Amino acid sequence: MKKILALLLALVMIFALAACGQQAAPAASSGTTEITLWTYPIGNWGDEATVKALTDAFTAETGIAVKVEYLTYADGDDKVNTAITAKQAPDLIMEGPERLVANWGANGYMVDISDMFDATDKAEINQSALAACFTADGKAYEYPVVMTSHCMAINYPAFVEAGADQYIDKDTHTWTTEQFFKAVQALYDKYGDTVGALYCSGQGGDQGTRALVNNLYGGTFTKADHSGYTWDDPLNIKALKALYDQDGIAFDPSINGGEEIANFYNGVFKMAFCWNIAQQLNPNSAGTGAGLTANGDEIVFMAFPSQDGVAKLQGGIWGFGIFDNGDAAKIEAAKTFIKYMCDSAHTVDAVRASNFFAARSAAEGTDLSGIWADNEIMNEYTKLMPMLGDYYQVTTNWAAARTAWWNVLQKVGASDGSEAAISAAVAEFCGQANG
Amino acid sequence: MTKTMSPRLRRQENISGYLFLLPSLVFFLGFVIYPMAMCIWTSFTDANMNSNTADRFIGFANYVELWQDPVFLKALVNTIIIVVVSVPVVCIFSLWVASAIYRMKEGPLSFFRVVFYLPVVTGSVAVTVVWKWMYNNYYGIFNYLLKGAGVIDKNINWLGDPKYALACIIIILLTTSVGQPIVLYVSALSNVDQSLVEAAEVDGATNTQVFWRIKWPQIMPTTLYILIITTINSFQCFALIQLLTSGGPNYATETVMYYIYYTAFKLYRFGYGNAMGVILAIFIAALSAVQFRLAKED
Repeated sequence: MKKILALLLALVMIFALAACGQQAAPAASSGTTEITLWTYPIGNWGDEATVKALTDAFTAETGIAVKVEYLTYADGDDKVNTAITAKQAPDLIMEGPERLVANWGANGYMVDISDMFDATDKAEINQSALAACFTADGKAYEYPVVMTSHCMAINYPAFVEAGADQYIDKDTHTWTTEQFFKAVQALYDKYGDTVGALYCSGQGGDQGTRALVNNLYGGTFTKADHSGYTWDDPLNIKALKALYDQDGIAFDPSINGGEEIANFYNGVFKMAFCWNIAQQLNPNSAGTGAGLTANGDEIVFMAFPSQDGVAKLQGGIWGFGIFDNGDAAKIEAAKTFIKYMCDSAHTVDAVRASNFFAARSAAEGTDLSGIWADNEIMNEYTKLMPMLGDYYQVTTNWAAARTAWWNVLQKVGASDGSEAAISAAVAEFCGQANG
Repeated sequence: MTKTMSPRLRRQENISGYLFLLPSLVFFLGFVIYPMAMCIWTSFTDANMNSNTADRFIGFANYVELWQDPVFLKALVNTIIIVVVSVPVVCIFSLWVASAIYRMKEGPLSFFRVVFYLPVVTGSVAVTVVWKWMYNNYYGIFNYLLKGAGVIDKNINWLGDPKYALACIIIILLTTSVGQPIVLYVSALSNVDQSLVEAAEVDGATNTQVFWRIKWPQIMPTTLYILIITTINSFQCFALIQLLTSGGPNYATETVMYYIYYTAFKLYRFGYGNAMGVILAIFIAALSAVQFRLAKED
């Protein structure tokens, strides 16, 4: 009897292990199709209650069940890559073209959804966003739903106190390169400390430092056709040198974008280079309210300074892509989901959940331009949207280039600040980025 | 007993023994041996994330590239510095603390064990966040205290300055590494045969002589275990780097483990990353063998 029990126990343990390796049931038992969606925290698309309301409404209308998993930027990529390797990738994923198009799409894991874009869609979708979702050979691996422009922010009372408010146009949220440097100097003269930091401990928030450097003297980050990197542009070297020489600007390899924002909220810095509408709407950890620092100081969002005062801002584009798991029914269901969220009467809800702006002007006859008419901050922020520049994050070798960028800032910051040293550092890392 | 068993009964015993062993064996083969074999195999290929191209066998190309990669060489040097500094310091410091506290009464002894063991059981993220705050360039407590004491007149960017960053990492590593060795040494010292100690003292042996001639040989197995565990942990220093510096500034805190992670999971060069993993494993195995040998000779 003991032997039989032992044998049974061993078999149960083996089967338990074997069960771990089994694939999940492909469809809900009731016969409805079930698709999985993994989403990064894009506004409230990272909030379970908000997303559940959206997916429940979708399920009620289409009969397609949606199982959602919420990723973080800290480990989301690792989770997705692990899932891809284990052939357990989700059916749908929500993120930007740098991941969906330039990474997973380019590596052959995504479904080409170019058939979802008709002439009307192509006319309605923002052209930068549209271009970013397509590859050079005409394949589309992402359908955009929302977008924003990244910018910078200033502590307005500090500017007023230092007499630096004269250098900004608070109405248009713009300033020139000359005005920027004069403002930083005024703030430094007043407070005698770090005014703003080119954070470079990692890639978090790196779009801010790239946009600052590129805009100051009109340098570029990549070639127009996204086939290579152009940091060694003399205009970028000039900008890095000017920033290095400027009192009050630090190249800080001990903080990243998130930590820069925290320092700005807490009044340590008087300006932040990592900013967008999400931060502007954030009531901050002290709960003082949207558009205010922890001390209650007014935060004014600003375009990056440029010589003519008209910046080319970095965009943030987010949408959906479909992983090619070889199941035609699920791919079709995923396309239905994308159509529902990105191009239907329900797109308004999908956009509002993100706290960003619609990536298109209208969706199946519904005008999307007035989505945020009831929100003063969002309305004001729309002034920056026309400054949206090229979405170059889909350039070849992007992952390596991102790392090389914060490394070049570290190297410039640790150098003697001479033009030769800066040029050498830029050339070294630009070479790495270009592979 | 066994001799009285019939062959049939013995066979049945063996079969049931192997069946009990089977789940663990399957787990061990599937999750330890198979990944190790895959790691070694892929280190000879150009394996990456691209599903459009098959992995190509490239021989020793990854290994050749490693020794021409300045970032890997810098990471290797940093890792060796961490090992060379932290292993002796951890061993000596924990032996010193254990020697000082092991004869204490239960209350104070438990107190010290808890104090030194707390960083071990505290989550590495929580520990790192606190240290990051202490090292902060703008409002960190170290700058505050040193400026207050007049030692420095300008804030030091502890984690942002290549001169200090690696030392800062090593200090955190030490605080999180001494807990277990102290507990082990306290236990080992408590188990030293007191009759030998008393006999030596009666014969006029000094404290130093008692330690080196009586206690040290008896705690040698514990020391060997601590040396190997600390060496492996130091070689595998990753979480601190990931959470604090991402290997910067200017690769000043880049370690081999972090570079493996970066290469494999950010650049998706699995083959190259696995080649680094194989090299790291060889280093750890070689150093552990040397430690075994020295301990045996001792």
